[in-house]
Amino acid sequence: MDKKQLTVGTKEGLGVGIIGLGLLLIFLPSFSQKIADLDFIKSEAFGILSGAVMVLAILTMLAGLAVILTRTDEEE
Amino acid sequence: MTTNVETAVPTQKKRMKRIPLTYVVALVPVAVALNIVGGQINTALHLPTFLDMIGTAVVAIVLGPWWGALVGATTNIVASFISGPISLPFAACNVVGALVWGYPVRWGWGKKFWSFGLINIAVAFFVSLTAVPIYVFIFGGATGHFSDMMTAAFLAMGQNLIVSVFSSNILVSLADKIISGFVALAIIEALPANLTQGIELPKAERIGKIVWITGGIVLGVAIALIMLAIQK
Repeated sequence: MDKKQLTVGTKEGLGVGIIGLGLLLIFLPSFSQKIADLDFIKSEAFGILSGAVMVLAILTMLAGLAVILTRTDEEE
Repeated sequence: MTTNVETAVPTQKKRMKRIPLTYVVALVPVAVALNIVGGQINTALHLPTFLDMIGTAVVAIVLGPWWGALVGATTNIVASFISGPISLPFAACNVVGALVWGYPVRWGWGKKFWSFGLINIAVAFFVSLTAVPIYVFIFGGATGHFSDMMTAAFLAMGQNLIVSVFSSNILVSLADKIISGFVALAIIEALPANLTQGIELPKAERIGKIVWITGGIVLGVAIALIMLAIQK
């Protein structure tokens, strides 16, 4: 009796990596305000948020590039 | 009786093996926990390193760079709930580290110990490049880490803020990533063989591998001690 084991590969890895970036984006707005509220921070929440979003945008574009360039394995 | 085709014949050089989901479900949370515990120990002992990317390195090398990115992002999200909001912006550094560890190993560049060491140095460089704008533009150059003292020393020498932050951060990052990379290699050695099959990592007799891993960790510790000496 063949019990098909669930496996993951490159495609799934890319997907969860992108999900991880999305998770970061969810928490960024609230944490940007919390960081801005710290005593030693001179930056405004908007500046913190926009800088962080730019960095994550670059990483998201890298992920997109990886999706295009990566050959997914065909074997099952 | 079924034959395992994957182990019978060496397949195409870049064929990525599919990994059982159970391994991923087990390894990813453990890697996140390893990162968080490492970071907490580092903070408690006031060490001149970070030690919050060992799990990221393990997962990036074993499962893949984007699985490592998930571990990195999750680590900093969880750490920001535990230690405060400062950790969250540095999630980008953890993600970049995962990519720089994962892809070169996937491309076969980590087959020798010296090339694996170079990958660790590359991780330190790219993570520092990512961290410096975060330090400078969000935190004004200081977050309460050991490297702030070195930044202050470089500023006192007349360097500008960006150069000072980069100079201090690259030294800390070098020590940290060399230690983390070789500790991750030791951990990967202990994982089941079928999980690490097909990954081109440095090969040596067991005692040789121990010597190389220990040497790598000692090198990282030496860099950290040199930093402490410079700072005094």
